[in-house]
Amino acid sequence: MVQLSLFQRRNLPRLVLIVLGGLLLVNLIASPPQRQQLLNGLAIGSVYAIFALGYTLIFSILRIINFAHGAVFTVGAYFTYFLVGSPVGFNGILAQQRLPFSMTFVVAMFVGAVGAGLLSILLEWLAFRPLRAKGADPLLTLVSSLGVAIAIVNIIQLLVGAEVYSYPANPFNPILEPVFGKIPPAVNFGTPDAPVPVRTIQIIIFVFSMIIVAILTWWINATKVGKALRAVSEDATTSDLLGINTDRLIMITFFVSGFVGAIAGTLVGLSVSIKGPYFGIDFGLKGLAVIVLGGLGDIPGAVVGGLLIGLAEAFVPSAQVAWKEAVAFAVLFIILLVRPQGLLGRVVVQKV
Amino acid sequence: MNQSSTNTNLARAFTIGAILAVVLLIVRYSQVRGSVVVLMAINAVLALSLYLPLMTGQLSLASPGFYAIGGYIAAIFSTKVFTNVGTPFPIPLIIVEMAISAAVCGFVAVLVGIPALRLRGIYLALATIALVEILRVAALNLEITGGAVGIFGIPQPFATIASLEYLYIAVPLLLFSMFFVARLEQSRVGRAFAALREDELAANAMGINPTYFKVLSFALGAMLAGVAGALAGHFLNTWNARQGTFDASILILAYVLVGGSRTFIGPVLGAALLSALPELLRDLGDISGIPAWLVSFFKDGRLIIFGMLIAAGAYFFPYGLITPEIFRRRKRELTPRALNKAAVQEGKSHL
Repeated sequence: MVQLSLFQRRNLPRLVLIVLGGLLLVNLIASPPQRQQLLNGLAIGSVYAIFALGYTLIFSILRIINFAHGAVFTVGAYFTYFLVGSPVGFNGILAQQRLPFSMTFVVAMFVGAVGAGLLSILLEWLAFRPLRAKGADPLLTLVSSLGVAIAIVNIIQLLVGAEVYSYPANPFNPILEPVFGKIPPAVNFGTPDAPVPVRTIQIIIFVFSMIIVAILTWWINATKVGKALRAVSEDATTSDLLGINTDRLIMITFFVSGFVGAIAGTLVGLSVSIKGPYFGIDFGLKGLAVIVLGGLGDIPGAVVGGLLIGLAEAFVPSAQVAWKEAVAFAVLFIILLVRPQGLLGRVVVQKV
Repeated sequence: MNQSSTNTNLARAFTIGAILAVVLLIVRYSQVRGSVVVLMAINAVLALSLYLPLMTGQLSLASPGFYAIGGYIAAIFSTKVFTNVGTPFPIPLIIVEMAISAAVCGFVAVLVGIPALRLRGIYLALATIALVEILRVAALNLEITGGAVGIFGIPQPFATIASLEYLYIAVPLLLFSMFFVARLEQSRVGRAFAALREDELAANAMGINPTYFKVLSFALGAMLAGVAGALAGHFLNTWNARQGTFDASILILAYVLVGGSRTFIGPVLGAALLSALPELLRDLGDISGIPAWLVSFFKDGRLIIFGMLIAAGAYFFPYGLITPEIFRRRKRELTPRALNKAAVQEGKSHL
């Protein structure tokens, strides 16, 4: 199910779609008023994409939607916040405490992501593996993952309260300034007369997410573990017989999924700040729209789906901005009715 | 005694335990906090509304959406349309609101259901999650639903808000729903539902129209959720967009799965137990002699325990507390096949 090579004959429709999409983008870039929405949409869309990759990796090998992914995303964002040395707010058991050490932002982000990856493995041990060993209904696994998600979110609330947390401003500047010189708060994509300002942080988020997507694509396509992953997603029983250690592979997948989920959490936190323990749950629901749009278990599909949902949200007119939250779900609903296999997915023939 | 009958006995013990627990909870809370008992009944109706589509094998998480619609209908009609009816608010008008909710929810369910029920399994669940979220955002933004603030001061049919007297409406509603579902299971329609759940292709080949029966079960569930919402609107006195959310979908699903999704008793019992659980945990904190940190954990960490119970329940009670086996007669063990099996074990087969 993990679809990789675009340049095959059966992927022709996807290529056509991507080329058409590209042409549309070029057209939009040409007109300044829409350029700003476009760039902001791409930035948030790229985060949706890496978040959805975590979902879709697990779905492609287990055929289960991991509803706790939103909780791992939240945990990652909080880990980064505390690792940079910021204090806990006024609520929760740990009120007003802080870690005895601090890290620079980028290091904290990766250490936090490793922590979230380990949490994700713990999840697999507690909520997924026991049920898999019993051969339980996938629906039960879904419920189990939801139960764990509720528990995690409320543990966060008990420990650090439900306040809004913000990262220190411009955390990437210490690394970028030696290379690029002074970093302005916003970059003008228009002419000096008709400025089209886009926040620098959005551009950094976009570039960073695309690097993560590139690394993941390389990992799945070119490494041995990636090959094993593709084999398991195609046929778990046969790959087990052929000597692939399925349980170990599932563990690795959970780690990677948690890792990218946590990076997505930090990036969203950077863009709009951490809005309390529940912010990952809402984001997780939108992530569902992304993976369905791209086709469940389809990796390039998740990236395209993420960018499209981000763009669709960015182009909601400012008068109707309150309806923005519904866009992803409207897209999800329509896609399910029109093309349930997803934009790029293959039709699965039902066997009797 | 063989393995399966031991399991059945264990399951029976759990069932009796669960029923006893529910009775004890009702007795306790009807004296202290009547609202809990009413909530148990309303949630039981909601659990049945999710059970109905499940009878045809369709996992629909749309109940909170229809519940929200029902609540808004009750809130809007009682605060804007039936204004000169005096206090307390007449109960027959609540029943009128319930009927309107049922009609509207049934209509919406048919509209949504015909295209959506072509989807199976997780896809249908996702479509219904999307529906619930779209309805929530709509409720937040429309003027008639009171936006983010919602609708306040929904008239009360009884002297106090959220009183135990609501049981006069909630219990008949629950009993009627249970009776309806029980009768439905025995009817031709119910058997068609079961056939679809077991094997849709085979059922189709036998002349059962899958779309018709799936939409029917979905619409019946939606109507039940709408009726529950109309009652809950009055009961809670205020109604807003927080009433029908994804969280509620999960809670209702938990009621059904913890209770058992193969009989209509299961969802009712699961809803009663789990709706009382947060209150029960709060009360546990009042027992003297337990350490202070545990008290605060019971009070603030109720949802942590709740989440863990859902996860553990999925592992330890995969078929829920109530399974169909416990209602089967033991007579079944004396079939020729069972006799033959026993004979084989003793070393002398009849065959």
